[in-house]
Amino acid sequence: MKKIFIIARKEFLDLLRDKRTLIRMILIPLLVFPIIINLVTMVQSSAAEKEAVKEINVGYVLNGQSSQMIDSFSEVPNYNFIEYSDSNALKEQLLIDSITVGLHFAAAFDSDYSAGKSPDLSLFYEGVNQEDLGRVKFLIEMQDSIYTDNRMKSIDKDYGFIEPFTVVKRDIGDDNELIAKYAGGMLPYFFLAFCFMGCMIPAIDMFAGEKERGTIETLLTTPVKRVYIVVGKMIVVTVFGLLSASLALLGLYVGLNYMGLEGGFMDLIKGMLTPGLIATLYILLVPLAIFFAGIMIPISVYSKSFKEAQSILTPLNILVVLPAIFGFLPGVELDYTTAFIPILNVVLACKSLIGGHPDWVLIAITFFSLILLAAASVYISIKQFGKESNVLR
Amino acid sequence: MIKVENLRKEFKLSKKQMKENNTTDPVSVAVNGISFDCKEGRIFSLLGPNGAGKTTTLRMISTIAKPTSGSIVVGGTNVVDQPEEARAKIGFLTGSTGLYERLTPNEVLKYFADLNNLDKAVFEKRRDHYYDLLDMHDFKSKKIGQLSTGMKQKVSITRTMIHDPQIVVFDEPTSGLDVITAENIIKLIRDCKTAGKTVIFSSHIMSEVDLLCDDLAIINKGKLLYSGTMDEFRKNMQTPTLTGEFIRIVNAN
Repeated sequence: MKKIFIIARKEFLDLLRDKRTLIRMILIPLLVFPIIINLVTMVQSSAAEKEAVKEINVGYVLNGQSSQMIDSFSEVPNYNFIEYSDSNALKEQLLIDSITVGLHFAAAFDSDYSAGKSPDLSLFYEGVNQEDLGRVKFLIEMQDSIYTDNRMKSIDKDYGFIEPFTVVKRDIGDDNELIAKYAGGMLPYFFLAFCFMGCMIPAIDMFAGEKERGTIETLLTTPVKRVYIVVGKMIVVTVFGLLSASLALLGLYVGLNYMGLEGGFMDLIKGMLTPGLIATLYILLVPLAIFFAGIMIPISVYSKSFKEAQSILTPLNILVVLPAIFGFLPGVELDYTTAFIPILNVVLACKSLIGGHPDWVLIAITFFSLILLAAASVYISIKQFGKESNVLR
Repeated sequence: MIKVENLRKEFKLSKKQMKENNTTDPVSVAVNGISFDCKEGRIFSLLGPNGAGKTTTLRMISTIAKPTSGSIVVGGTNVVDQPEEARAKIGFLTGSTGLYERLTPNEVLKYFADLNNLDKAVFEKRRDHYYDLLDMHDFKSKKIGQLSTGMKQKVSITRTMIHDPQIVVFDEPTSGLDVITAENIIKLIRDCKTAGKTVIFSSHIMSEVDLLCDDLAIINKGKLLYSGTMDEFRKNMQTPTLTGEFIRIVNAN
């Protein structure tokens, strides 16, 4: 047993001196979330600031009607109203983008309104200018309520006259359930992906890399059982997978608490990151990382070189992505079937925790199914390493 | 000290390999029933052209590969039944032996000493002995990746000898090395003999064999063509040179 730790200790030392390992397994996981959060925050705040101060050009055709509504619009800052003689001129200006929204009053707008009719106020726009359209619609809606109030007063009625009943929405559900349904699968997925990537370089370096460098023969002539060599190296692969996932988590925590803006998406993620979720994620991640190592080691043992192993293992990322994507879908939940599907079961277990209604029996089944898979993968790795046709290939 | 009896090694060929080798036989025989003895305190050379089965034989002696049939006993230990015990008695070195480039000589030697269950005091004494002998003090704390080929070979030698093996296996130890580095290996082989160790080394360089060995075996295509002492070999030569005699024996079979 002592030999396992001698091998693991040497492999840690060796890998921690490799720049490729340091960058891909430590630096990237640690920095990726702070960088993303910083970028999102910068883009978000700069877009909001720009939107708030941006002046938009709105064209209008009065068609011989009163300018009362346009006059009241003009008092609101950051709108520039330009009058045109007819709708053709208005459309022309819209198409060359000198205005982004156009208003066209119906020919009898004032008289029809006074007569209690509902005259047309046409809005001209191009679909791409949704933000500007929204800003003009906001002004119109304000005028709409003023015009409605005036009409109600003229017939001595209040607003309730035209609104026979009011629908009052009262959401008594937990916000977390909604979060879990639509976004609960994404957070654990990030850590699974980093765990997978974190396992990859050590698994390749310690087997295919050793074969390529010619050090494997030397190791095989030491009085150490093959099984101890595999287990010692497997410990290192697993620990680096967990380390990558942990550093990503740390990066996310730092990013959210010290770099991101308050509210919105950031609060959503903060709401998900409970100690219970993190603890459960880790409990499930340990056997899963062993399983990842157990997939990678036989491939690495078989490969002649670092490049060959990398070219086989990199596409395996899809193995992590696909089950995780199913886990993102609303309606896919942890049950007696999904609890046995690796990766998907971890995503769904976390999703149920974020939703606030975890089924601990199913989570336990998830854990034990992962333990079984991990044990099977250790066995396969040992068998493959024992095959001299692989090691001496 | 090393007793090899009826040793046979077969490799299964894939369809691709069968096509490459232009054969319909799915089995390739690398070593075909060879037997020889390496006696204690003597230098034994395994001689043969490329692809003769020398490396496979040495790999089986060093327990890296398993024989298909036959037996190998190293210092009284059967290498198939007790591989760990056998390995503890063996030091293994090849001309292309790799070292961990990101570690220093100090760290590599400590690693192999630990794997060989060496006591700390014994390890340090032995390590310092080789540092003095091979003049390694200047680079003992530098990363191996920064060392020259000669320096790396000195580290490999020390790594091979750190657990004081009774038997030292050299697989084409001077292959691809410059003259000065190769000389270090030749000296090491001689020193091993002086220290009473048993040495087995493979080579296809007759001058090297002539210089060093007490006993030799010639193999080709996995079969043993000759086995005896170097003195007998010289005595019974039918050609004027050792190289000529080696070629004659190989071609005659």
